[in-house]
Amino acid sequence: MAEQKKISSSSTAEYFSKNLQQVGFSSPTKAVLTTLKEAVDNALDACEEHQITPSLRVEIDRLGAGSIKNSERIRVVVEDNGPGIDADDLPKVFGEYLASSKFGRGRCTRGQQGIGISAATTWAQLTCAQGAKVVSKTKNMRKAVSAMIEVDIKNNKGVMKNRETFDWDRPHGTRVEFVFDGRIQINGEAGLLNYLLGTTLVNPHLQLEYKLPDQEVQKVERVSNDVPMIPEATEPHPHTMKLGEFIAHSHLFGRQKVSAWLKKGFSRVGDSVIEEIAKKKELGVPKANFEKLVDQLADGDLNKLFSAIQNTELKAPSTNSVLSIGEDAMSKSIQRLGKVDFFSVVTRKPTICDFKPVQVEVAIARLEQRGGDADDPSQLLRFANRVPLQFDKSACAIAQALSSVNWRAYGLAQPKDAFPLGPYIFAVSVVSPFIKFKNASKETIDASDELVEEIRRALIQAGQKLSRYIKAEDKANELEEKIRYIEQFGPILVEGLARITQAKEDQKKRARDGLMKILGRDTNETEKELTDANKKLEIQKAKDSEEQA
Amino acid sequence: MSTTTRKGGKLQSEIPGLSKALCLKLLNDLEKGKRPVLHATKCSLDNSIYNHKVGYLTPGGKKVATELNVSSVKKMSRAVFMLEILLRNIESGAVNTKRELYYMSKGETKNTPLLKPLDFTEQGESDETIDFLCEILECYREEFNCYANDRGGQTYSQQLVVTETLTDGDTAVVDLSKLGTSPFQPKNRPQNLRLSAKKKIDFCLIVESEGTANTLVANGITKRHNCIVMGAQGVPSNAVRGWAKLIQDQLDVPMYFFGDLDAYTLQNIYRTLKAGSAASLIRNQDYSAPDVKFLGVLPEDIKRYDLFDYPVKENDVQEVRALKKADDALKNDPFFQDKRNKGLADILRWLYKNKRRCEQQAFFSVNPKDPTMPEKIIVDKIKRGEFV
Repeated sequence: MAEQKKISSSSTAEYFSKNLQQVGFSSPTKAVLTTLKEAVDNALDACEEHQITPSLRVEIDRLGAGSIKNSERIRVVVEDNGPGIDADDLPKVFGEYLASSKFGRGRCTRGQQGIGISAATTWAQLTCAQGAKVVSKTKNMRKAVSAMIEVDIKNNKGVMKNRETFDWDRPHGTRVEFVFDGRIQINGEAGLLNYLLGTTLVNPHLQLEYKLPDQEVQKVERVSNDVPMIPEATEPHPHTMKLGEFIAHSHLFGRQKVSAWLKKGFSRVGDSVIEEIAKKKELGVPKANFEKLVDQLADGDLNKLFSAIQNTELKAPSTNSVLSIGEDAMSKSIQRLGKVDFFSVVTRKPTICDFKPVQVEVAIARLEQRGGDADDPSQLLRFANRVPLQFDKSACAIAQALSSVNWRAYGLAQPKDAFPLGPYIFAVSVVSPFIKFKNASKETIDASDELVEEIRRALIQAGQKLSRYIKAEDKANELEEKIRYIEQFGPILVEGLARITQAKEDQKKRARDGLMKILGRDTNETEKELTDANKKLEIQKAKDSEEQA
Repeated sequence: MSTTTRKGGKLQSEIPGLSKALCLKLLNDLEKGKRPVLHATKCSLDNSIYNHKVGYLTPGGKKVATELNVSSVKKMSRAVFMLEILLRNIESGAVNTKRELYYMSKGETKNTPLLKPLDFTEQGESDETIDFLCEILECYREEFNCYANDRGGQTYSQQLVVTETLTDGDTAVVDLSKLGTSPFQPKNRPQNLRLSAKKKIDFCLIVESEGTANTLVANGITKRHNCIVMGAQGVPSNAVRGWAKLIQDQLDVPMYFFGDLDAYTLQNIYRTLKAGSAASLIRNQDYSAPDVKFLGVLPEDIKRYDLFDYPVKENDVQEVRALKKADDALKNDPFFQDKRNKGLADILRWLYKNKRRCEQQAFFSVNPKDPTMPEKIIVDKIKRGEFV
């Protein structure tokens, strides 16, 4: 008989250290982008949490050849003016998986689980044998702390090394530096530049200074001083829970009455719901059970209660927990992408998709500087909770919604079932405390029918606004073209006719005058259409600024 | 002006006058501040009329009106510009192909800065302008001295004599029996040719495939029979169409078409030869030979001679398209709808239903050891009246 194999358990850190590809470290190129992204997400979340207007400095360098084949040694530095982190918390934040202040809170923060930045530390540790070099200072600290944080992979614990203190010329903030093997891609859809520009677009309050290899330092000023208030999480909606979660939730309210637990611990459960469940005998939850303490309920009772709630109609979850960038801020922010001819922004009202609150915002801009061909597909910037998504576009709800809209109706060229063409940027932001991603590295939003439809509606609204600009422009071009045509072909036609008929000069002149009069009538019509189109555009602009005000 | 009252050759002299009158009308309208309108005959199936007594497709009353506005000013200017070049050709007697006219117009626009905006970027544009003028004046482009390549129509006969009046007034006489193995190549100016027969000609056979026509002659058909054999070389060119019409009008011999049994041949080759096409409504009068009968291959020949036939392949784009068109032709084409052409419509229906085809060369399979077998079958079919 074969010897029975020993069953062992692994730490979370051990799991992730072997599966870093699941959290965005599947290639050297992605490693650079993911490290940067995790550090920036954390910095922005921390600033917003403490209502600090964020100023970030990003620096990315090549230090030489990397140890992995076809890689380079890369240094990524992200420095913020956030609240700083207490020295004792540094190992937890940068070196421990799932040690997060945000895990499962149901708020619209960028980070959700507390995996990303620890994964970045692990990657640096695995490829360069050194963790994250962190400097931090809170407003209560006299001196800043500098330390090297590493992940104790066996025990999922952060380890602090080389701790030092020093005078830092700022009241508070954090600076984190990673040195690791990766490869830098600056341009293109998955490039660093796209990430940085995307981040500034959906964070109008962000001031960003960045230095990429072989490039000058760039500074993007903030266009808003309003730090978004991240709405407090609402209590979970019972219909979004599974039985295990429901039972685990009950443990938090052990010494309270069941009715109090249901009313306080969940959203959309009130007295009327409890009464309705108690009344329906077939649900198997007697009224007395609601008066018991939660601890007193047997497992069977909890199961019955869970099923009863699932089978009772409840109001949809509240949408108060979502957060919007706002049309005004988006309008200003989109102009930081470069000079734009015109743009249109739409912020949809928060709504419920797949039983989760969600808010969709869209900004479309036509760039003045048109790199590439008019036949090139438009650029799509996707955002989930204000974080750019740069990979696996085709499966994403946002991309599917963009292709599903008939953009030809709004004056844009578009091949069948594809992205519209031309020098347009489409920025689509989906904000929700419960975004369903297709993978742990949060690269693609799951394309459920309801969500795709909601995004599609936002795109259609933005398309309608955009079409007013395009129509006015088309009419202006048409008028110009008509005038050019008349000036070019009018004299040729008359001259040709005159030569064949051997007409005299005065007859020629009369014909020329008559022709100009006839063709002039055509331009009058277009002039009128242009005036109408411009009027409609002005009305829309006035309406937009009124709404934004 | 009516297409039914004039004969080719007479109108060319009228064209300068008609053109001038048209231009004068346009100029007068302009002087009055009135939008000039050009009316062109609509050359399409929905404006085609077929009367078996006439024998070919003629234009109905539909006209395409082009009113002067900003969108049409370029088209009209180009038409007047091209008209000037064509009138100059008529005056000088110069002759050109469409391609040459395209380059001539490019030369004009290059040398005259004012005309630069008229420049044709592709030959298709200048061709369209020439066709537009023909549809307005209801004339042939040949009457503008614009000729196409003389493709197809190679003719063999031991009896036929062709007399051609040359532009300088001289005449040339061609006795086809003296050409040896060379065929006579007809020109697409049939009005300059006069035909005569040294001996009574029994029939004229127009063969779809140029190669098969050649084979029949090489194997002695013109020696054994008093006949004319002509290779159509696919869809008949204006030269072939005009030539067939001339043979019909001047020699009064029975004429037969021998080609593939398929929808493309029936609609695009045979119908064009016999009754013209919707695209050439204006010229069908002089470019169709209504007396030509369809000798085969007939559907019944397949059984009778045990011929090889096969289903239409999906990748045979030309034939698949022709089959689709057949359905429409049976419903809308006045030629196939005419009850006197019921036999032909039945063949087309048979093709549409069975989706099979049989090539003319299948007759060579009947007795491969006898090279004259196809000839025997053809002559036999004529004798027995097995044609439509």
